[in-house]
Amino acid sequence: MSTTWLPCSVYHQDYAQDHRWWQTKFIKGKMILLFVILFVVIPLVADSYLLSICNLIGYTVLGALGVQLLIGFCGQITLGHAAFIAVGAYTSTLLILEFPWPKFMLDYGIAYPVSIIIAAVVAGIWSVLFGLPSARVKGFYLILTTMAAQFITVDFIITQYVSQIGGRGQAFSLPPGTIKVGPWVIDSELKVYFIMLIMVILCVIIMVNLLRSSVGRAWVAIRDNDISAEVMGINVFKYKLMAFYVAGFIGGIAGAFWISNLAAISPEHFPWFWSLWLVGVILIGGVGSIHGAVFGSIFMVVVMEGLQLAVIPLADIYPKLFIDFLYIKEAAFGLAICVFMIFEPKGLAYRWWQMKNYFNLWPFSY
Amino acid sequence: MYIRNLWSKVFILLIAVALIAGFFSIAGAATIKIGSLNDMTGATSDVGKDYALGISEAIRYINDTGGINGKQIKLYQFDYGYRIPEALTKYNLFKRLKCVAILGWGTGDTEALAPTVARDKIPYVSASYSGHLCKPEKTPYNLFFATDYSTQSRGLITAWFDKKWPQKPDYGKRKPRIAMCYMSASPFSSSSIKAAKEQAEMLGFEIGPDQDVSLYAIDTKSQILALKEFKPDVLLHTNTVMSVAATLRDSYALGLGADNLIKCWGYDENLPKLAGRAAEGAIGCAPWAFFGMDVPLMDKVVEYAKKYNPGIPMEKRTVHTVQAWASALGLAEALKRADKAGDLSGEGILKKGFETMKDFEIGLGIAPATFTATDHRSQSEAKIYEYKNGKFSLLDEVDLKKRWPDKWANEWLGW
Repeated sequence: MSTTWLPCSVYHQDYAQDHRWWQTKFIKGKMILLFVILFVVIPLVADSYLLSICNLIGYTVLGALGVQLLIGFCGQITLGHAAFIAVGAYTSTLLILEFPWPKFMLDYGIAYPVSIIIAAVVAGIWSVLFGLPSARVKGFYLILTTMAAQFITVDFIITQYVSQIGGRGQAFSLPPGTIKVGPWVIDSELKVYFIMLIMVILCVIIMVNLLRSSVGRAWVAIRDNDISAEVMGINVFKYKLMAFYVAGFIGGIAGAFWISNLAAISPEHFPWFWSLWLVGVILIGGVGSIHGAVFGSIFMVVVMEGLQLAVIPLADIYPKLFIDFLYIKEAAFGLAICVFMIFEPKGLAYRWWQMKNYFNLWPFSY
Repeated sequence: MYIRNLWSKVFILLIAVALIAGFFSIAGAATIKIGSLNDMTGATSDVGKDYALGISEAIRYINDTGGINGKQIKLYQFDYGYRIPEALTKYNLFKRLKCVAILGWGTGDTEALAPTVARDKIPYVSASYSGHLCKPEKTPYNLFFATDYSTQSRGLITAWFDKKWPQKPDYGKRKPRIAMCYMSASPFSSSSIKAAKEQAEMLGFEIGPDQDVSLYAIDTKSQILALKEFKPDVLLHTNTVMSVAATLRDSYALGLGADNLIKCWGYDENLPKLAGRAAEGAIGCAPWAFFGMDVPLMDKVVEYAKKYNPGIPMEKRTVHTVQAWASALGLAEALKRADKAGDLSGEGILKKGFETMKDFEIGLGIAPATFTATDHRSQSEAKIYEYKNGKFSLLDEVDLKKRWPDKWANEWLGW
């Protein structure tokens, strides 16, 4: 998918203009409106249920961004991303619960933000370890090696060793009031929502900037044809590992963010299924597009919740629907994915791209 | 083409109307709303389906027999597929729907939600019977009508030690040997292991290496082979039924020769069907009677199962239906008491409902339930059954409170 077509009479004369974030006044206005909606309107009108849906979407976006980077931009298929999210979550939790922070850091709520950064770095390094096989294998074989990340990290190391720290058994409790950012104790959906927004925006900025740099171009070259990329002088192995690092880094942020929404974490929170789910997110949203990760996350979460909401009034007429629907929802969801793959194989991002072009060029398309 | 477009428009309109109505739904004044979180499609759906059916049938029974002092219960029942992030949004949906109490499900989500339900003061009657949830000081709004996992494990080990070990040829010559099979990644499976080990040590067992058996396991030969050298006399299983059946089958096939002790979620009518001859002699803890047994109120359980879910043959219904009835009836009793006291707030339901129950008889073969402000272990008695000659029969009733009163009161609460 190429860049969006510009409206008539807008011409770029240099690369800087080509790569500007907001290229026209209309786009600038649109983005300001989006920020107003995200930072003002939603917090004002949404109740805790809607906010929790937003938080779940944000968590999914953060997870999917890393998967999108590896699969969509660098061509490295991964099925072990939940492991890196788990590493981030556990690193942050352990740092908060066990590390002897200086008192002022706890008082001023610096410990959690610092733990997020450390968690991201640790998860990034951990991801690089599982990226090493990408030097020798690709395709289905790489899928298997990334799957190993799940089993080694979550099922073995975290379950058998990390979870035993503190002697609590499997579930690490995060008592209310443990997580603090600045003067705010993170104890409500609204506060989690703001953390989520900041994390998602930061990670999107990191991703977009990397993708419009030489690093991003190298990743895309590797994805399109790794042999050609090597012939052109790109150090394929180095850039693949960089992709794993950045994907793990963002996954670590996802995990560290998610603990702010939980009162306890256990290895059960990071099943292998979640890695598969994230791949589903980018397939529906659109492979090779940051919009794709966002749209896919919104689709996966909102459709599931929407189906649930739709059945509540219908159950008044036909009460058995509630219990029957417990099965049907999953089937309807599977069907939705199949329909999507058949009728919209390029994902939601492609449809968005078409819509943008239509309005940009309206009424005189060239 | 026109017809097709028309149909698709009608369909979209219908969904949109339903969605909007669902979003703004409010029930009439004479109803009490309850939420139920179930797993019918996820990791624990092998036992979760029957539980979910039981909840809906029990609520119908409660409504048919006068509801909560004349008020009808409106039940919102959702599946979350054992995806913990989704459980958190469902909980918020229940709050939005103004549910006064929630019938919850697994250990992972129940523990993750425990501080939140305490903050929101919403009684949460879970199907997780983790001992961690019994200390009101920590988890005041978490309750359940069952013997907690730790008491179950202690009871199982004690019953085997009392009834089976003396019949073994090595009795009196050496220490009995026990090993534990569970999914260590799962708080549900591993929650009672610490208590089980303490009990085994107290009774003088030699404890073998733990075996990590996944909840999804279909082959456990490597774990059984790893135990061959230790030669356990008995194995404790704390997973759900499919995984336990796989372990029993492999243990039988490889000739391990150990007896089997099984926690409630792994011990139901499906076990003999899945494990075949390997299930013979299996000992398990079931705080409730098995489906169809001759105990008070079971006729109603069977009647409602036939009436509302006639498509499911009775021989496929299990003890999990009965335990769902126990949760629903227990909650209904608490609601009735709180309503009578004129306080249907969360705190009212807890203080004037649950915590006024002393030796409350639900029926269904369950030991009487008691809750106090300092102890939410509703039962101290573990009912131990044995599967022999094609049927489950009561082997022993171990009352830990009577047998070890000091430990029960001072040491065993909350883990």
